[in-house]
Amino acid sequence: MKTSAKLFMWLGLFYVPLIFIYGHFSEWKEPVGTVGLALSAGFGLMIAIYFAVTDRKLDMSPSDKPEGEINEVSGEMGFFSPHSWWPLWLGLSLAILALGLAIGWWIVFIAAPLVVLAVIGWTFEYFSGENAI
Amino acid sequence: MASVATPATGLTERPEERRPEDFHAGRTVVKWITTTDHKVIGNLYFITSFMFFLLGGLMALIIRAELWSPGLQVVDNPEQFNQLFTMHGTVMLLMFATPLFSGFANALMPLQIGAPDVAFPRLNMFAYWLYLFGSLIAVGGFLTPQGAASFGWFAYAPLSSTTYSPGLGGNLWVYGLALTGFASIMGAVNFVTTIVCMRAPGMTMFRMSIFTWTVLITSILVLLVFPVLAAALFGLGLDRTMNAHVFDSETAGAMLWQHMFWFFGHPEVYIIALPFFGIISEVLPVFSRKPIFGYKTLVFATIAIAALSVSVWAHHMYATGQVLLPFFAVMTMLIAVPTGVKFFNWVGTMWGGSLSFETPMLWALGFLATFLFGGLTGVILASPALDFHLSDSYFVVAHFHYVVFGTVVFAMFAGYYFWWPKFTGRMLNETLGKIHFWLLFIGFHLTFLVQHVLGVWGMPRRYADYLPEDGFQMLNQVSTAGSFLLGASMLPFLYNVFITWRKAPLVTEDDPWGFGASLEWATSCPPPRHNFNSIPRIRSERPAFDLHHPEVGVFSVLPSQETSDQLDRKGSHA
Repeated sequence: MKTSAKLFMWLGLFYVPLIFIYGHFSEWKEPVGTVGLALSAGFGLMIAIYFAVTDRKLDMSPSDKPEGEINEVSGEMGFFSPHSWWPLWLGLSLAILALGLAIGWWIVFIAAPLVVLAVIGWTFEYFSGENAI
Repeated sequence: MASVATPATGLTERPEERRPEDFHAGRTVVKWITTTDHKVIGNLYFITSFMFFLLGGLMALIIRAELWSPGLQVVDNPEQFNQLFTMHGTVMLLMFATPLFSGFANALMPLQIGAPDVAFPRLNMFAYWLYLFGSLIAVGGFLTPQGAASFGWFAYAPLSSTTYSPGLGGNLWVYGLALTGFASIMGAVNFVTTIVCMRAPGMTMFRMSIFTWTVLITSILVLLVFPVLAAALFGLGLDRTMNAHVFDSETAGAMLWQHMFWFFGHPEVYIIALPFFGIISEVLPVFSRKPIFGYKTLVFATIAIAALSVSVWAHHMYATGQVLLPFFAVMTMLIAVPTGVKFFNWVGTMWGGSLSFETPMLWALGFLATFLFGGLTGVILASPALDFHLSDSYFVVAHFHYVVFGTVVFAMFAGYYFWWPKFTGRMLNETLGKIHFWLLFIGFHLTFLVQHVLGVWGMPRRYADYLPEDGFQMLNQVSTAGSFLLGASMLPFLYNVFITWRKAPLVTEDDPWGFGASLEWATSCPPPRHNFNSIPRIRSERPAFDLHHPEVGVFSVLPSQETSDQLDRKGSHA
């Protein structure tokens, strides 16, 4: 198992006994902490299991090889957006939405369509040229 | 459409290569607001969080000026005082310290693992916008007729309800913070993914720099607890704007809020501490000319602190009389163990080293002294018998300023002076840096050391006023004088930044300090768009040091047992 999976596994396992220790000594009368610790355990174990399962399906990545060579990852590494307006538009429309929740519903009705537009713009930003649908 | 397959041109943008007529203000603004480059986003975080640091500091100075003498002289009424300390806490924790973590993580982590960028560049920028807009919304409460939120930065129910805290400021606070909370969560997702998936070949997990480890662990901690804050804030928002009854006292809502808030709030302290421990762990070896002492124990201590920090939340709630005292006292004191391990490692790193006291090292030592003291008073407060006396007094104020100011501000400046050439291509002035350090160090201790005594004498926190016969005035005046010295120490720093920008020569080598260890010192200052023109072979946790000092290689220790095992296994498969 790779280090990343182990890290999350131990983190998750650490909270399992704590649920019972805390629960027992608080006589199971304080729900927030017990639930919080249980969710923390679930968080760690869920990600650990995901990593473990994924790792089994993949070859060992060069980053985990103690003697990995830089040229092992030559070629395209993935797509990285060079620059984009959409984070600003989505951030701004969500900020207006939040302002609406704090001040008055009428602002929410203006902001909600803007959020939808920004999400669409963001999603389809690179659906052009050879990637057009 | 650029991708990493497009090789970097090798032309680092250097201001002197640009002619003045090439500079277009509008184009630069558009470049910055549409950027997806983690280094530029890191700079945006640095600039914005520093602005909020100055704003929060200004509020602190007004608070201290008010406490100079009995009576109300500076603020018109206690309500204004309440708004000031509420927003001071909120700004410093959630708009300065937490985003500063994102700033350092963005600016450095991809460089340290040899990645061209973070995993989700657009999400990264989106997180920055949410942080900026959310913070502006929360601080914007000051522009409303009733002023900003005034229920304390931990917004205890039922004080934070519309009955006791009417007005728009509270609503803006709740929803503004919800936005910044999402910014932290998205930043954390980005960092975890980047570290897990995008390390350079040979950069195994146990070869990552300590700072990168702390970014990983901090991000995991963010993912564990910020959703709880978001849930609590939406509950409070529902109560305030839609007349829900989530945190009604009649149905145990007061305790529910405290549990949820501190389930977030205590790990939050470690979220803003761990990455700054990481910065210190990067600075000390360089100026001690030694590798970090006990690399693996430092990593495991970081993990242990993070894991334990989720199980100690209710030590903030001893005074409610409704929490499990022994459990939280034991767990809280347990945290002192891995923290002590870290101190042992830091001292061990310096022990027998060839120390030199450049500005970053001064700040790192200032951190060690200050944070140690904060940690010791923390053990005092972890003990319920002592805490009942000191709870909500100035002793607590002094304690947490030693802890968070000691880590965040001291380590931030250590990081700024250390990495300034990597961020901007120019070295900050050493003399001004030392003046800055000593002013701040003396100012800080003058401000907060006496507050311990005030607290033990019984001065409660968050009061706008005290009586002459309380006998608090003398120490309050010492504290106020110290705070203005502390505020004044920002002037040499700001002048330093300005004069460096205008006058300082450009750094030409990759590693201006000469003994840099982690990978960011193996690329130019500042790095090209996708970070590296070439990456050295990574065979230890000090790839840049190995590259620049091959003569030391003969003295290297053997590879760890784990590494040899992996090599053996690989050999047997072949």
